[in-house]
Amino acid sequence: MKTADREKKRMDQEDAQLLAAYLAGDNEALGGLVEKYKRPLFGFILRFSEGRGEADEIFQEVWVRAIKNMNRYRHKSLLSWLFRIAHNLMIDRARRRKPVVSLDTPESEDGIPLADQLAAVRLGPDEETSGREIGLRIEAAAAQLPIEQREVFWLRMQADLSFKEIAKIQKCSINTALARMQYAVSKLRKELAGEYRELQEAGL
Amino acid sequence: MKTKKLEKLLLLEQSGELSPRQLNRLGRELAVSGKARRLRTELNVLSRSIHTPDIEPSPWAVARIASRVRTEKAPVFTLSRVLKPALVLAAGLTVIAGIFDFHGMQTSSTSTAVVAAAEVDVWNDPVEKDLSKLENLIKAISGDRLDIMEM
Repeated sequence: MKTADREKKRMDQEDAQLLAAYLAGDNEALGGLVEKYKRPLFGFILRFSEGRGEADEIFQEVWVRAIKNMNRYRHKSLLSWLFRIAHNLMIDRARRRKPVVSLDTPESEDGIPLADQLAAVRLGPDEETSGREIGLRIEAAAAQLPIEQREVFWLRMQADLSFKEIAKIQKCSINTALARMQYAVSKLRKELAGEYRELQEAGL
Repeated sequence: MKTKKLEKLLLLEQSGELSPRQLNRLGRELAVSGKARRLRTELNVLSRSIHTPDIEPSPWAVARIASRVRTEKAPVFTLSRVLKPALVLAAGLTVIAGIFDFHGMQTSSTSTAVVAAAEVDVWNDPVEKDLSKLENLIKAISGDRLDIMEM
């Protein structure tokens, strides 16, 4: 764990250097930062958006807001700060969205439910390889979780944020973030009982 | 140890947020409890099975950020870097000027009082004469009513 902490601190210093270079007028430094964090950030945003178009918009807005307020950034984890901005933006969008859309509501003209459309966005033919099947099954099961639990689950499991950082993003206590994660893991355990056994037997 | 407590410790272990005391406690539990080891394996399996999707933002998304930043960056940094300290300085100067002004007003009113006291002596005589004339005149006109007024 200490090695992981050191690695994280080193990365934070690297971010701080890139930021300092950007503030000094080096626009390429900003490109480096966007490049560095685009995958985890965009992946997270996409999970909570209605398709790539919206995810792209939010992704851009997150960076623009981050840059506008960059003088507030003080050696904290940049990624965690970006997730916090993304979380706030997505909440704003969800509030503005009228009417509330259910995942079971037929959205398109051909009557395909939104949940299936979203799944179709994520499950391309290339991704359906055997090594990723379990990952996709976890994704499908996680998609059924309530939004707060789902957010904690992905922030922890995919973005590798600590519970302290997640609690800051969700504006709740660490214990609440932990409890949400426990509920999520417990529900996934029930949903994926068979897969768990397979993986454990395979020694993964 | 209860399952919930155990799960909490395992999750904190995974995120690297266990205190040394909690770490010892979990170590002891893992050494003696099969359930603890099973839960830990489950969590590890779960986290290893998750992959980051290869999907990236569209290439023009990055270009748009750069373009928005170019157009919006300058005023933002000028405002925050120049206006903020200037406003703080102006506010500070206003407060200081206000304090000095207040003290100045106090000093000037005191000196006015001193000047007025000195002038009273100069004015005393004619005023006293006028007052006694007025008093006599009132006495002559109203007699007793003056006593009532003095009471």
